[in-house]
Amino acid sequence: MQYTVEIDQELCTGCHRCIDVCPVGAIGGPAGMAADINYDKCCFCGQCVQICSAYQEYKSETSAPRETKMKDRGLLASVREPLFAAHNMGHAQKVWEAINNPNVVTMVQCAPAVRVGLAEDFGVASGELVAGKMITALRKLGFDRVYDTNFTADLTIMEEGSELIKRIQENGVLPMFTSCCPAWVKYVEQEHFELHENLSTCKSPQQMAGALFKTYGAQVDKLEPKKIVSVSVMPCTAKKFEASRPEMNASGSQDVDLVLTTRELANLIKHAGIDFKSLKPSQPDSVLGTYTGAGHIFGVTGGVMEAALRTGYELITGNPLDDINILDVRHSQGVKRATLQVGDLAVKTVVVAGLENAAPIIDEIKNGTADFHFVEVMACPQGCISGGGQPKVLLETERKQVYASRMASMYKHDEELPLRKSHDNPEITKVYKDFLGKPLGHKSHELLHTHYCRRG
Amino acid sequence: MLNTAFVIGNPDLCIGCRTCEIACVMAHTNKVLGTEAIKDVPFVPRLSVVKTEDISVPVQCRQCEDAPCAEACPEKAIVQRGQIIYVLADKCVGCKNCIMACPIGAVYLTWVEDKPWQKTAYKCDLCIELPDGPQCVKKCPTKALSVVLPDEIEKSIKQKRVNVVRAV
Ligand code: SF4
Ligand code: SF4
Ligand code: SF4
Ligand code: SF4
Repeated sequence: MQYTVEIDQELCTGCHRCIDVCPVGAIGGPAGMAADINYDKCCFCGQCVQICSAYQEYKSETSAPRETKMKDRGLLASVREPLFAAHNMGHAQKVWEAINNPNVVTMVQCAPAVRVGLAEDFGVASGELVAGKMITALRKLGFDRVYDTNFTADLTIMEEGSELIKRIQENGVLPMFTSCCPAWVKYVEQEHFELHENLSTCKSPQQMAGALFKTYGAQVDKLEPKKIVSVSVMPCTAKKFEASRPEMNASGSQDVDLVLTTRELANLIKHAGIDFKSLKPSQPDSVLGTYTGAGHIFGVTGGVMEAALRTGYELITGNPLDDINILDVRHSQGVKRATLQVGDLAVKTVVVAGLENAAPIIDEIKNGTADFHFVEVMACPQGCISGGGQPKVLLETERKQVYASRMASMYKHDEELPLRKSHDNPEITKVYKDFLGKPLGHKSHELLHTHYCRRG
Repeated sequence: MLNTAFVIGNPDLCIGCRTCEIACVMAHTNKVLGTEAIKDVPFVPRLSVVKTEDISVPVQCRQCEDAPCAEACPEKAIVQRGQIIYVLADKCVGCKNCIMACPIGAVYLTWVEDKPWQKTAYKCDLCIELPDGPQCVKKCPTKALSVVLPDEIEKSIKQKRVNVVRAV
């Protein structure tokens, strides 16, 4: 297992704000002393990394020189920001090596929330959408193929939506849990393994993308899968752990080799001397890069639910929704319940924002009082836009406003996109036609679904 | 008559998180949000959280009346401006006399933004350029910092005297 989040004992001041923010009670320490993480409980959400403000100043003296600490953290040598006590392991050095290695083919994907956070690290006001500039920057960095996690978010809806319908129609295990958030998945595996069958068997969009790049992508481009280095850019620190899970190797080797956080991508762009703000926007590579508004809103709380309902409603009733803005599932502040009439069936949904809020829902399932069908849980307070790998909100007082701007930007992009339902994505249709067959089919099963294991 | 104001930390409330230091740096740059704000400027706050075995509290300039730092400055680069003791960066030659003179260690040395060859002394300026006052006070998560205004000191002194009389 990769410990992706750590607390530097020397820099920690013992303020214990991370203990308060940790949703699973994984951090402890004697009053006023350095805090420590219990990895049997930690789900790598990185909320401690977000809140910590204890730092080593540029050029201040510590037992290990700053250069050594930076190297240990996987940070590029050009990074000048202060080093904070709570931090995540970086992959930027390794990605830099890969993009400069002529013997490998690099493929990259970016999660939805990255494009509403990235610009903040270049001094732009929070929430600015930089999808096009981000694609251009990735090409300039030297990635050979620039694809998109948003594409596989659409694909996830096809698989997960079909799975939900199947479970409802064939008396399968209900309620079904979303499985896109790796911190939530790890939490279920270690604390409530008896509920693991409630988890959708769908891989997360990151892993679906990894598996497709090294199989379908390799086939289309006539590449040897072994030569591909597949990189993802995520707003999340737990995605590093997810990519390292041994079962995530449907392509024959690890499907996602390296995971960058949003902040690490910003560091790479600065390291390469790219003037981000003046870049011209461009489009991702075709087939594995096209996306709809539904795929994009995966990055906010309630997003996966709304995307699934947009498609599920149409698959079951054969008619499109009157209004595809399903406001009832948006803006969860903890637990949000909603019921949507789908044909004869009243589909009951729960959206949980913040892992600490999942407890009552889990209790209801365990004591048999749960009457809902589908539960979305995101470990971070507002979903991926507030993930542990996003640009740091340095002052607590600004957090609310920053998250609100990022969220508004997510919904705005959804409204602006020409297609807003996953099953309308023409490239999704093409991938099913040319490669996958049908949702929940044999090939999907092999590449896009997974199983879970007991931890602890 | 007292005529300067200053910021003071309450060690009973301070948890040593150093958010005040970050708030201070961000208040003194013109950059927006995020880590970019602190990438190109010297990351040296004007207050310093001091932590001992049993307490933590930020220490910053007390804006002394008859300020020893100003007295010690050969260039007359430290002056009283409104309710604070202020360093005129353009006049400062970086001789460090003020640093030596300050009884609480509240003066620092840095280079001038945009003019990396020029060194200057600097210290807490109560965020004099900002309309909503000292940012460390605003941003501390435990409200451990407060501004002490001259007339508040007078009031407090009076109250203490009254208490003494009552106790007699
Ligand atoms: S928030 Fe940072 S400084 Fe405070 S206890 Fe946690 S790791 Fe240490
Ligand atoms: S990464 Fe998340 S779960 Fe782990 S210690 Fe930090 S806040 Fe807690
Ligand atoms: S922000 Fe407040 S609690 Fe944190 S170190 Fe400063 S004074 Fe102490
Ligand atoms: S810098 Fe030191 S000497 Fe000067 S006014 Fe502040 S506390 Fe007094």
